[in-house]
Amino acid sequence: MNIGVYYFGAISLMLIGLYAILVKKNLLKILVGLSIMETGVNLLLISIGYIAGRSAPILSEGIGPNQAVDPIPQALVLTAIVIGVATTALALTVAINLYETYKTLNIEELRRLRG
Amino acid sequence: MSQYASLLIALPLISAFFVPIIKAIGKKVVMPFLVLITAIQMGMATWVFNEVYTTGKPIIIMAGGFRPPVGINLYIGHFAALFVLIIAVASFFMAIFSMKAITVEPKDKYAMLSLLLMLGATGMISTGDIFNLFVFMEITAISAYALTAYNKSGEASEAAMKYIVLGGIGSSFFLVGIALIYGSLGTLNMAQIAQLAGQMNPTVAQAALAMLVFGLGVEAELFPLNAWAPDAYQAAPHPVTAMFSAFVVKAGLYALARILYLTHAVGSWGHILRLLIILGTLTVVIGEFSALRQTNVKRMFAYSSISQVGFIAVGFALGTQAGVSASIFHMVNHAIVKALMFMAVGYVALELGGVTLEDFKGLGKVMPLTAFAITVGAISIIGIPLFNVFWSKIQLILAAMKAGKSGVIALILGASLVEAVYYIRLIHLMWFEEGSRERTRIKENFVFGTIMLLLVALIIIIGVAPNMTWNIVQKASADIYNVAQYIKNVPLLPGVSP
Repeated sequence: MNIGVYYFGAISLMLIGLYAILVKKNLLKILVGLSIMETGVNLLLISIGYIAGRSAPILSEGIGPNQAVDPIPQALVLTAIVIGVATTALALTVAINLYETYKTLNIEELRRLRG
Repeated sequence: MSQYASLLIALPLISAFFVPIIKAIGKKVVMPFLVLITAIQMGMATWVFNEVYTTGKPIIIMAGGFRPPVGINLYIGHFAALFVLIIAVASFFMAIFSMKAITVEPKDKYAMLSLLLMLGATGMISTGDIFNLFVFMEITAISAYALTAYNKSGEASEAAMKYIVLGGIGSSFFLVGIALIYGSLGTLNMAQIAQLAGQMNPTVAQAALAMLVFGLGVEAELFPLNAWAPDAYQAAPHPVTAMFSAFVVKAGLYALARILYLTHAVGSWGHILRLLIILGTLTVVIGEFSALRQTNVKRMFAYSSISQVGFIAVGFALGTQAGVSASIFHMVNHAIVKALMFMAVGYVALELGGVTLEDFKGLGKVMPLTAFAITVGAISIIGIPLFNVFWSKIQLILAAMKAGKSGVIALILGASLVEAVYYIRLIHLMWFEEGSRERTRIKENFVFGTIMLLLVALIIIIGVAPNMTWNIVQKASADIYNVAQYIKNVPLLPGVSP
């Protein structure tokens, strides 16, 4: 399959995520948008390391360094996923705190700090 | 011997994980533990600073003994040595301050997070690998989010939420920038990126650099991405605000400057400089005019801090060595002044319970020492001769003149005028107006007074005799500007090409 499909998918995921962050009013939907955007970036990184016709970069029988795809982007994505999990967990904690204080998750009603 | 410099990263990290054990020994030991670790860090940073500036050679640490670009290296050059020292000193002072300023439990979490914040900023400044930079940036950012929300009030959660959403978008952009650079050059090592930058397709390079600038713009508080900053500064605990302003934003600015100058060989470099100059100018203008209409003093200082960051970004965007030197000088001065001012404001908030302009009426009679510290800081930030910021503003103006950017000169002078308006109003309020409430003189804390006087002395020493600092700063700027030397310093493994 053409590699362009992956690039198209990655960029569409990023734009969908960005759209959700910018337009949605519910805090949880914004956080979902953030996660979608991160997924898009991860997919982009993986597609950059993809070489057509090669297998996963795990050295085993019959798969040498020349039969595997570029392993570095995969290592990067693993790190990025972990960081994404930490950010999402912290964001949800803060969202719980916000809900307990203001009894709402609508960002238009959550504006105490202004100017 | 110099490999021990890696303890600058290792010590705060392992101490952060020791905090729960320390808490089990006794709850009262946690804050002294934080002070102790930051003091050790300060000692090590002083040693590293001395080592780098006497030998004149950067310390290169190769993780696991693998030579770059196979392994990840740390690069502690003149710039990193200077700023690691500033980070450690600021953290030490704020650790002392937080012994009294942090009243909300759980204090052990506070100690852990502020150690991680220090670690992240130190790592960002000393790393030599662009993805490692991303990881350290995220460590800094996640601990900063948590520290912003530390007070658990509605305002704190709201500020933290803004910060998380903007920071998340920023880190995604940054990662896309890294992906574009890796896709076209096949390397993540900064020295190798600099070596190969000329081969990059100018359009791809422009997109990648724009993504990186916007990604770092969140940490560096550049205009369209700094909406979180005033809220976070206002809602975060007072020592944390001082740390944000003293070094977290500096780490972001450093990363911006480093990446910008590493890739100066790409064809479309001028466009990125123009982008940065526009962002910096907007940051200054919007920061100053927002500061003018604030009634909360902490928020006013936050906007003032943001506009100073705009100056620094504009200086880096001039693209000359004079501009870089001036910006770094301004970074040093700004770190000193803003650490002093946020600490003083935090102390006022602690004693009087509020930081609106109303609370500051007649402060000169209630807390004379603190009012004096704020006055010196304010006069210095306006740019009055014999105080430190005057010299860095003058250097910025000279650099702009040499680069032929008369708009920048007008920007700096105009912004200084606006600063003078709101700072002199504050000074007038503190010394010449009577507070509405009757207040007696408060006995000021001896330790905090000493720290504040120390910082005031530093401001005046640099102001009266700027040459010594200026020499250090020029070496630090050569470290960033002279990319050929940077590439030569990193012992790249020969024969490993992407």
